[in-house]
Amino acid sequence: MSGADGIYDARIKELAATARDLGPVEHADCRHEADNFLCGDRVTVEVERDGARIKAVGGKVRGCLLTQAAAALVSQAAPGLKVADLRGGIKQAEALMADGTPATGAWEGLNVFTPVHDAKHRHDCVLLPFQALAACLDQTDPQDD
Amino acid sequence: MLSLRDQFPSLASGLAGTYLDNAAMTQIATPVLARMTSFETGGRANVKRGIYPLATQATAAFEGARAALARYLGAENPNEVVFTSGATAAINLVAHGFGAGLTAGDEIIIGEAEHHANIVPWQMLRDRVGVVLKVLPVDDAGYPRLDALDDLMTARTRLIAITHASNVTGAVTDVAAICDRARAQGVRVLVDGAQMAAHGPVDVTTLGCDFYVVTGHKMFGPTGVGVLWARAEVLETMTPFMGGGEMIRRVTFGETTFAPPPHRFEAGTPPVTQVVGLGAAADMLLGLDWPEIRAHEQILFGILMERLAALDRVTVIGPEGNARRLPILSFTVAGAHPHDICELMGARGVALRGGHHCAQPLMDRFGVEATTRASLALYNVQGDIDAFTDALDETLEVLA
Ligand SMILES: Cc1ncc(COP(=O)(O)O)c(C=O)c1O
Repeated sequence: MSGADGIYDARIKELAATARDLGPVEHADCRHEADNFLCGDRVTVEVERDGARIKAVGGKVRGCLLTQAAAALVSQAAPGLKVADLRGGIKQAEALMADGTPATGAWEGLNVFTPVHDAKHRHDCVLLPFQALAACLDQTDPQDD
Repeated sequence: MLSLRDQFPSLASGLAGTYLDNAAMTQIATPVLARMTSFETGGRANVKRGIYPLATQATAAFEGARAALARYLGAENPNEVVFTSGATAAINLVAHGFGAGLTAGDEIIIGEAEHHANIVPWQMLRDRVGVVLKVLPVDDAGYPRLDALDDLMTARTRLIAITHASNVTGAVTDVAAICDRARAQGVRVLVDGAQMAAHGPVDVTTLGCDFYVVTGHKMFGPTGVGVLWARAEVLETMTPFMGGGEMIRRVTFGETTFAPPPHRFEAGTPPVTQVVGLGAAADMLLGLDWPEIRAHEQILFGILMERLAALDRVTVIGPEGNARRLPILSFTVAGAHPHDICELMGARGVALRGGHHCAQPLMDRFGVEATTRASLALYNVQGDIDAFTDALDETLEVLA
């Protein structure tokens, strides 16, 4: 057992295994494909709305276990939330990676990635689905900043 | 082989661990470091124009490295050796300097197994000039399909750009056969020797190519330096890529005339220390017993292949046997992503590379996202293969 094994925690592996169930949503309001330019991993995110709320987030992952797990988490946590909540989730994922700040509320599940905080070279693996989600949301709900 | 290992400080100290990422970067050798240190501490001066003793000695050291590289590449004329910052820079130099003589509709054939360094510069040339790019496919083992070459070549073909050995599969291209066909039609051939050069001296004369590129950090030398070798008569016709000092004959505000090759292509102060180091690497490599080293690499590689063949989740991408290949091995593991494998192998002291290896079109050809790659060099020993196998067993258990 070595330090790096910590990022292959059973809960992360379980989450990653569910990424297999990801697929396209029925009526995508937006779709974005994001590449990690350093390693070539690729995530496609699709978002379907139901009025002000998110009906489903789907997509496709071509990447490592951490990217798979993060994409699966997004798709599991998102239904029923509002766009602002998704943006909040993106911020929480970034904060968890950057300084280990625990996630709360609807995004508490993000805390399974806490061991990755110490592996800076893998932060982008976790963040890639969130980056794809942010770019996807920007298509329909551009931010003012 | 142990004495050879002692020539590499990071291996002798154990700091590099089980180092099987040689296709990305080889470790640097003591004679290389020694010559660079000696240059920096006792011979440092700018090269080419200085006329005080320190400067003329520095120029002699620089030109001595040029001669060493010419010997290593089998070129008779050292002035056919142009120093660049690496293989990428060398290919870009050709894409500009040779590409300037091409016109819209001229055709360039590139291999399907190329590193992005031998794809993207040609696409950029296509976008600048309107040349047409064609792809020479590889077979299921990763070898360029020479049978497809005749159909691809037309009266407009000007260049074939092909790797000597794949950095993904280790497959070695039959460059001489390609050059024979190309020469018959007046087509130039550029060979990417970035991988090949770590496995023994090259003979550009026998290969019959027009351009050959290598990079220092993959041949036990420093980073930041590489070589474009090109036939004198081809260099002669090429326009410079970058302009500046050291590459001119005369400059007025009205116009500039250029220095002869190789200086025409070496604008500005070159990476002198690195060039001197690369010369030392070439000298060292020229002094080795290559038949013995190749036999040693092949034995280790055979063991590696055997161990992987015993694992049923593993699929090897590329040639099956030991013939016409370098000791570079790419594989996939069902249900385990290369980045996760490399992370866990790395934590166990085994340096591997996972990903697309800057050869995304080849990944597409084999229908894989990425591979895990183990690449050997002359200093690897059986203990490295044992460490690899033990770590892989543990890794696959963690990822199960
Ligand atoms: C086959 C091949 N060609 C070209 C290159 C580019 O070399 P450099 O990055 O030193 O320019 C590499 C490096 O990975 C390579 O493996």
